[in-house]
Amino acid sequence: MLDLIISTLTQGFIYALLSFGVYITYKILDFPDLTVDGSFPLGAAVTAVLLVKGVNPFLSLLVSLLVGALAGFVTGFIHVRLKVRDLLSGIITMTALFSINLQIAGSNLSIAREIDTVFTSPVTMSVFGSMSLILRKLIVSAIIMIVCKVLLDLYFKTKNGFLLRAVGDNSVLVTSLSKDKGRIKIIGLVISNALVALSGAVACQEQRSFSATMGTGQIVFGLAAVIIGTTLFRRVSFIKGTTAVIFGSVIYKACIQIAISLGLPANLLKLITAVLFLLILVLGNFQKGSVKKNVRA
Amino acid sequence: MKKIKITVAVILAAITLFFVGCTAKKDKVPVIGISQYGEHASLDNCREGFLLGLKEAGLTEGKDYTIDYQNASFDNATATQIANNFSSKNVALMCAIATPSATACYAAAEDKNIPVVFNAITDPGEAGLTTGNITGVSDKLPVDPQLELIRKLQPDAKTIGIIYTTSEPNSVSAIAEYKEKAGNYGFTIEAIGVADQASVTQAADTLINKNVDCITNLTDNNVVGVLPSILEKTNAAGIPVYGSEIEQVKKGCVASAGIDYIELGKMAGKLAAEILKGEAKASDLPYETVTEYNTYINSDAATAMGITVPSDVAAKAIECK
Repeated sequence: MLDLIISTLTQGFIYALLSFGVYITYKILDFPDLTVDGSFPLGAAVTAVLLVKGVNPFLSLLVSLLVGALAGFVTGFIHVRLKVRDLLSGIITMTALFSINLQIAGSNLSIAREIDTVFTSPVTMSVFGSMSLILRKLIVSAIIMIVCKVLLDLYFKTKNGFLLRAVGDNSVLVTSLSKDKGRIKIIGLVISNALVALSGAVACQEQRSFSATMGTGQIVFGLAAVIIGTTLFRRVSFIKGTTAVIFGSVIYKACIQIAISLGLPANLLKLITAVLFLLILVLGNFQKGSVKKNVRA
Repeated sequence: MKKIKITVAVILAAITLFFVGCTAKKDKVPVIGISQYGEHASLDNCREGFLLGLKEAGLTEGKDYTIDYQNASFDNATATQIANNFSSKNVALMCAIATPSATACYAAAEDKNIPVVFNAITDPGEAGLTTGNITGVSDKLPVDPQLELIRKLQPDAKTIGIIYTTSEPNSVSAIAEYKEKAGNYGFTIEAIGVADQASVTQAADTLINKNVDCITNLTDNNVVGVLPSILEKTNAAGIPVYGSEIEQVKKGCVASAGIDYIELGKMAGKLAAEILKGEAKASDLPYETVTEYNTYINSDAATAMGITVPSDVAAKAIECK
């Protein structure tokens, strides 16, 4: 049953993009950004409409990414320039996006099988055409995810990237460097929501449908993936934050898949998922104890 | 450091092993994967009816098929994972109840061309579920009979209030139909769109304020979910509420011209049986729409609202309490 592992990894990789976004805001900027619940379906709505209109699927991903960036900018602008509390500025954008998404897509939208997605486009077929669709979904989503991860890692090493980290860790330092921390926050939100929207766009192409409610609870997923990933790997210095987040995202999706596969009463699904998270986080905490023991010895 | 790596490795290995382990068993009996969007009286009735339909078509559980039932707790991402789970298990057929589950199953079934039978979808055409290896049953609301029923119970009523969720395509298309047909029965429709369940009771307040003569429900999950609190307000204001199916009348709506979701499920079950027996392919079977509806009456609620049920309506109505 390799298929199940493949499809779970695919889901994990697609949603890792969203988790990167949450990693930037929550972990680096220390900004609880609820825009996610709106920008995820925003990316999906944009890509769905463009695909139905016959736009190239890769181009539609790019447009989704840019529109997501715009959503991040709006949250940043509301927070930094209009001086609204961080949590509330995200809520405002998220709430507005719900209506905007419906305006963009009209209603829930489905993408017919005849329409090419990034997983079935001629470009993809010319390279991976001999593979089965589920394998192609895995490879293509892995490529998109890895490209974003590498670019993100490179960005974190730039001067601007360091400033981004500094805003979250020690914003006084940023001000003392005579840098505008508001501007940097906006940049962080822009990158974050661009990734979230991209994630929504890829998810939409994968499941061939957009629904207005597909964003509900995505911030919870993102936070859980980031925390699971970074908790498990916090003592492993050579693993980058982004890598840890990929693991977090895959582990989250695997937990749900395990809960489904266990075949217990369907209503227990969420409870079992919660127990699995707890188990993993507790296991992660054991590491802390063992490290301390080593230090003492 | 080593221990940490080991712990992480153990977790990852355990997950992988689990996947290998749980998928190793092979059943000869074909598996039907039922993906239901969430637990909800009408959707549960669809599932029960589906199982009955299979039995009525002469199939025996355990011998001809086994059931793998999952519900997504109203979460789209989970619906996708359930569908992937079915696809990787090579189920013989997927039964999808409600639109998000159906679109997820349809996408996951693409690779292996697994047949999908959907249930409880108002407009399969709009949901893009009419081409390919897919068929099912539509639960399109009987709008005309409902308007006729309201006219008979409230001969002097002028405006009908409806609350609906703007993001539910089923509700949006039903509203359009109500607005189009209301004039034929001398009604005007006062529709209030909401974004989420939390706003539904506020919308009910608005309708009461606008002095609507009655309220009628769609199969809108958000509205049906908080029906008791709507009824509390409308009962106090003396405004009758009409349901869209039997379960709502049981909860205290005055009446409903509604479809029987058990019957709807049976129709889907029979379609599935035909496919399992190899008599037909899902791609060749057009989706079916229920043409029959029942009239459900809750006499207690009607009396409380001062409505006298005409004898011709009462004669064919099913009493619900």
